[in-house]
Amino acid sequence: MDSEHEYLTLRGLLSGVRETLEESFPEKLWIKAELSSVQARANGHCYLELCEQQDGSIVAKARAVIWRNRYPALAAYFYEVTGSNLAAGMQLLLRVQAGYSEIYGLTLTVDEIEPEFTLGAAERQRRETLARLEREGLLEKQRRLALPPLPRVLAVISAPDAAGYGDFCRHLDENPYGFKFAVTLFAAVMQGESAPESIVDALERIESSTVHYDAVLIMRGGGSSLDLACFDDYGLAFTIANYTLPVFTAIGHDRDTHVADLVAFHAVKTPTALAALFIDAFAAEDERLEQYATRLKLAFTNKISALLSRLDVLESRIAAADPRNILKRGYVLPLDGNGRTLKSVKALREGDSLTLMFADGTLRCRIEAVEPKN
Amino acid sequence: MDEKFNYTEALKRLEIIAQKVEDPATGIDETDKYLAESGKLISECREYLRSVKDTL
Repeated sequence: MDSEHEYLTLRGLLSGVRETLEESFPEKLWIKAELSSVQARANGHCYLELCEQQDGSIVAKARAVIWRNRYPALAAYFYEVTGSNLAAGMQLLLRVQAGYSEIYGLTLTVDEIEPEFTLGAAERQRRETLARLEREGLLEKQRRLALPPLPRVLAVISAPDAAGYGDFCRHLDENPYGFKFAVTLFAAVMQGESAPESIVDALERIESSTVHYDAVLIMRGGGSSLDLACFDDYGLAFTIANYTLPVFTAIGHDRDTHVADLVAFHAVKTPTALAALFIDAFAAEDERLEQYATRLKLAFTNKISALLSRLDVLESRIAAADPRNILKRGYVLPLDGNGRTLKSVKALREGDSLTLMFADGTLRCRIEAVEPKN
Repeated sequence: MDEKFNYTEALKRLEIIAQKVEDPATGIDETDKYLAESGKLISECREYLRSVKDTL
């Protein structure tokens, strides 16, 4: 039935859209967009979802494709420069040809991607996050917490099968001193767009646990700058900064410091270094005990030496007072008939007898004359 | 080890004992008792550093 209204067919409308698009954007052009999903298909083509966000809301969205004749080269170059594969959450600068199909709608065909832009965007985002945390006074907040002197009940946030977590446990278990630690794993996604939310969820599980943990350790075994870009996430940094327990990070990067490191109580480079940190705290305590043992032993030895010295002095004094020691030097001791020492000639008379004691014996004598001094 | 072993208190006691033993006025009999006590405390502290049973 004919209508009284003029109308276009759907095909006519969409053909008009296509023609307008082709007239407006006849050439390839560079666009900036966030990658919201990526699917490399078995047929070799790679399908992308692109979007643009403003204040957390999506304000534009489009499908894009990299045909299989371009995808291997683009993917390889992107990985060579950034150390990462294309992944959701990345900011991209792409050269596209806008196309429109009456059946499939708008499609952007990608033939170039600028990987340096993605690296730069991540760095810009990192600096903005840092500046915001500084404005909010959150950069130093963790470092004002008090760590127990012997932190031994540890909550670890890691991917369960991560090599770094394995290294950490092995290093801790095989410490040469025999110190024991209680480690509980709170598994989380440690890479990519979902990592911040997953780590925040693990932090919440630790906080609501009935066990009181001395510290929380966030670790992974390294990765490329973009793999680790999740550790620059504002939401994650905000949660760490406001956390009630000291948070340690060992994110395993050599060159860069991530925002999570900067807001944490303490950051080291590797999980093994983190294990060493806790072992060293216990080793220092062990050494302190050894110093007590040495100090007490020394004090006891000094006391015994002082007592021995006192005995030596007494022995010397007694020995010095023994008359037999004087006789050995050539003196003689005169004794009366009762064995008492004679101290004056006045007590004796001619014909009296006395005994002269020498060191090696005695002489019995009789007095021929008494000659007092004046 | 005593179930209620308190590491911090044990260290405080060790410090007092060290000062007593270092004091020349402390007699040898007393010193002997202090040394026996300190030996026990140091062993307990070392055991504490190598055990998790008191913490969980």
